Amino acid sequence: MSEQVSQLLDSLREKAERGELLYIGENVVRVDSLEKVLGNPVYTADLIPKGTVYAKLFHSSIPHGTVRRIELEAAKAYPGVLGVLTSKDIPGANASSAVLPDRQLFSDPIVRSTADILGAVVAETFPAAADAATKVRVEYERLPAIFDPVEALRSDAVKIHPNGNIARQMKIRKGNVDEGFAKSDLILEKTYRTQFQDATPLEPEVGLAIPEDGGVRVIGSMQSPHHTQAAVAKVLGVPQEKVRVIQAVTGGAFGPKSDETPFDVCSTAALAAVKYRRPVFCGLDREDSMVMHTKRHPFVISHKTGVTTDGMLVADESRIIGDTGAYASLGVFVIVRATFHTVGAYEVPSVKADSYLVYTDNTYTGSLRGFGGPQAIFAIESQMEELARKLGIDPLEFRLRNMLVPGKKNATSAVMDASCGLPQCVEKVVASSGYREKAARYRNQTGSIRRGLGIALLMHGNSLGPEGNDYGAVHINVLSDGSISVGSGLTEYGTGAISGMMQVASSVLGVPLSRFRLERPDTSKHRESGPTVASRVVVIGGNAAKQAAEKLRSRVIPLAAELLKVEQKDVAIADGAAFDRRHPSATIQWDAIVAEAYRRGVSLKEDGFFMAPAAPWDQEVGQGTPYVQYTWGALIAEVEVDVELGYYKVVGVHAAYDVGKAVNPQGVLGQIYGGTVQGLGYAMMEELLHKDGSVVNPNLGDYYIPTSMDIPPEFKAFIVEVPGPLGPFGAKIIAEPPIVLPAPAVRNAVLNATGVSVDDLPVTSEKVLMGMNHRPVASTA
Amino acid sequence: MTKRAVTVNVNGTEHPVQVDAPDRLIDVLRDELGLKSVKEGCSTGDCGICAVLVDGRLVNSCLMLAAQCDGRRVTTLEGLAEDPSMKRFQGTFIANNAAQCGFCTPAMLMASWDLARHNAEPSDEQVKVAISGILCRCTGYYQIIDSVRQGCRKERP
Repeated sequence: MSEQVSQLLDSLREKAERGELLYIGENVVRVDSLEKVLGNPVYTADLIPKGTVYAKLFHSSIPHGTVRRIELEAAKAYPGVLGVLTSKDIPGANASSAVLPDRQLFSDPIVRSTADILGAVVAETFPAAADAATKVRVEYERLPAIFDPVEALRSDAVKIHPNGNIARQMKIRKGNVDEGFAKSDLILEKTYRTQFQDATPLEPEVGLAIPEDGGVRVIGSMQSPHHTQAAVAKVLGVPQEKVRVIQAVTGGAFGPKSDETPFDVCSTAALAAVKYRRPVFCGLDREDSMVMHTKRHPFVISHKTGVTTDGMLVADESRIIGDTGAYASLGVFVIVRATFHTVGAYEVPSVKADSYLVYTDNTYTGSLRGFGGPQAIFAIESQMEELARKLGIDPLEFRLRNMLVPGKKNATSAVMDASCGLPQCVEKVVASSGYREKAARYRNQTGSIRRGLGIALLMHGNSLGPEGNDYGAVHINVLSDGSISVGSGLTEYGTGAISGMMQVASSVLGVPLSRFRLERPDTSKHRESGPTVASRVVVIGGNAAKQAAEKLRSRVIPLAAELLKVEQKDVAIADGAAFDRRHPSATIQWDAIVAEAYRRGVSLKEDGFFMAPAAPWDQEVGQGTPYVQYTWGALIAEVEVDVELGYYKVVGVHAAYDVGKAVNPQGVLGQIYGGTVQGLGYAMMEELLHKDGSVVNPNLGDYYIPTSMDIPPEFKAFIVEVPGPLGPFGAKIIAEPPIVLPAPAVRNAVLNATGVSVDDLPVTSEKVLMGMNHRPVASTA
Repeated sequence: MTKRAVTVNVNGTEHPVQVDAPDRLIDVLRDELGLKSVKEGCSTGDCGICAVLVDGRLVNSCLMLAAQCDGRRVTTLEGLAEDPSMKRFQGTFIANNAAQCGFCTPAMLMASWDLARHNAEPSDEQVKVAISGILCRCTGYYQIIDSVRQGCRKERP
């Protein structure tokens, strides 16, 4: 045993003797690391058995119209083709929708976007299916199409769905904005726009269906297997028990894999598997994925904000319009989160917001990391910067005067309690970036290369809140060999959250994570646990795991006490061994306790279930406590701009997040780094472009995501721990939040370096240069 | 279509395979030889996660035709399972949380191993260049860069 390991064991022992937390806050190796570095065949496409056939989806080529005829003969005659599936081949319901019943699996007869799927060609090989799909001819009768959500809101606009173009409306009424504006010394009205972002998980959406036992087994890449099971069963027209869904190791997700595309590929594979009695793989290639899956909603957000001359916010009125494309998907919840975050991390005495989730004939948008937060925070943080400049107050100082601290009220009038760690986050990034000294130094630059700093602050509501009951079930089974098997309907797709959840159980039981193994989420074995979204695994699943582990511990302790011949209160367990707290030399190994339990027939199998407390709010006024707790963050970006070319780069990022309790600090840092870089892509380069409703750049050659060459040379990340009331040991969520702040921080940094306000994302060099050409080249603070 | 017989040395073993003209190297590796560490992410050479070594050079196996590999030496992650240098990188990747979803990990490891052969002490910048052809959407690259530098450093005698 190395010296390092024995020191670690000693420290674990000491912690256990003092009754302190074990493992929590330590950089524990994830349960799924080894299979990944070995390149093991664990992803869906690695599991394709011999004899599998391939389904290739084909989609509409027009944005809005009626399908008159689909000519399939040439595709059917193509060598290797088994057949072509269309809506006529669906025995159950032609549906593939997450929330509102507005979307069909195979659109018939109306198509509302170029992402509308019309059917699938099934062939012996993927190339044959793909080639045959190009032989499908579709006759349409075109209908007028709308691509601008503001236009779609007009009363005389073409109706995309029978009930009109508003999928969801929401509002906030806090205080009285009219009185607030009357009291204000300065009022600023501005409109901000955001773009389509593609999530780009490196593994596209894939599903494999294998006929078995009078039903079908589906293996796929997804976030929510139980929802997929329900969707597939509905399409097949069979009871859910005839559909067994297993989540394979999933190569990235970021939201779209909790939305409707996993339903599409799994339902199609299952349909074909039942029809042709063959295993069927339905996998999207990159282009199909980027056309067909949900993207981040483009938003148009207008703010009218009143302030006093001494820099205090008085009132804010916002109009928030989200383009959900042809279908609502999880957008009905995205708009809610965006609305609740409309004034971000600030106290504004009077707030009025009206938001609209609007149908257009663009490809549809839905769940994507941040879930409405990035758009809302981009708008309000841009507005804050503009206000500070108009007032002639330093942007940091302006934020410090107005930001949420314990005792202040956010937009929903929820009172911030002691768990608000925003001030600590700000302090960290201000110190780390050298803000005060640099801001003064960058005030009067005249050269062609100029620097600027940009700040943005974050409030991010934790838990599903308004999206429904927030619960999770975890079961723990201690096997006779002493290893610990953990299963849940909650899924891992890259973040490490499931390891964090298991780390909680590991801490309670005093057994290291290396003895734990993760069961593949399987609808035939694990309880439905809601969707794996909103970064909720450690917080909600962690509480369920904690409960199951505590129940097991209560059965293990008496056994250990008996074996050690001590009283139960004196038993401690650490590093897989129980010992007498007073005389730590007498120990009994975990495996021996387990063996004894098995001999006596004591069950070491337990379920944990946790439901977050209700988060009540009044729909009429958007007031209440829609979130049980909040994650806080602050980010300062430093940019260097070549003002003659508009070209700029981010030279430094300083980011701090209050995560309550970092269960695995290295995992938290991984989320901060990864989310920030994905957010820098959103800020600087990523934009999925539509022309007349068709995606122009559905490939990684034309849609840029950050490479290793694009990341800032300096990145300082800080973890702040102000415990929250919800998560185990005070933990708050962290997977989503880091994607939010880079866009406004970079935008504000560019503004401070150049005087150019870019109000529509992404902040490209072209826009900076155009801004420079339209105004005198003079630097301001 | 007439198949053509080619012989490819994959991970040290000669494999005679029958290939069609459009068959790609990745198809032979994954489908014929079952080497599933080779991932497909875009099929157009943009994401780099299908990277393997061909005659000692890192290439995108989705862009190389199988027929071009006749008589060549191909190495995948599976072929380096017992290689001490690769094992070091696998260890540093685990220790630094450099594998999140894991889909780019085999290609990142191949690029790291390739870099270590000619640079025992790469700078951040050199590591960034070495992995620049491989996209990762989860990590933001920082923990990967740390892992590569640590793994290379141990490469020195």
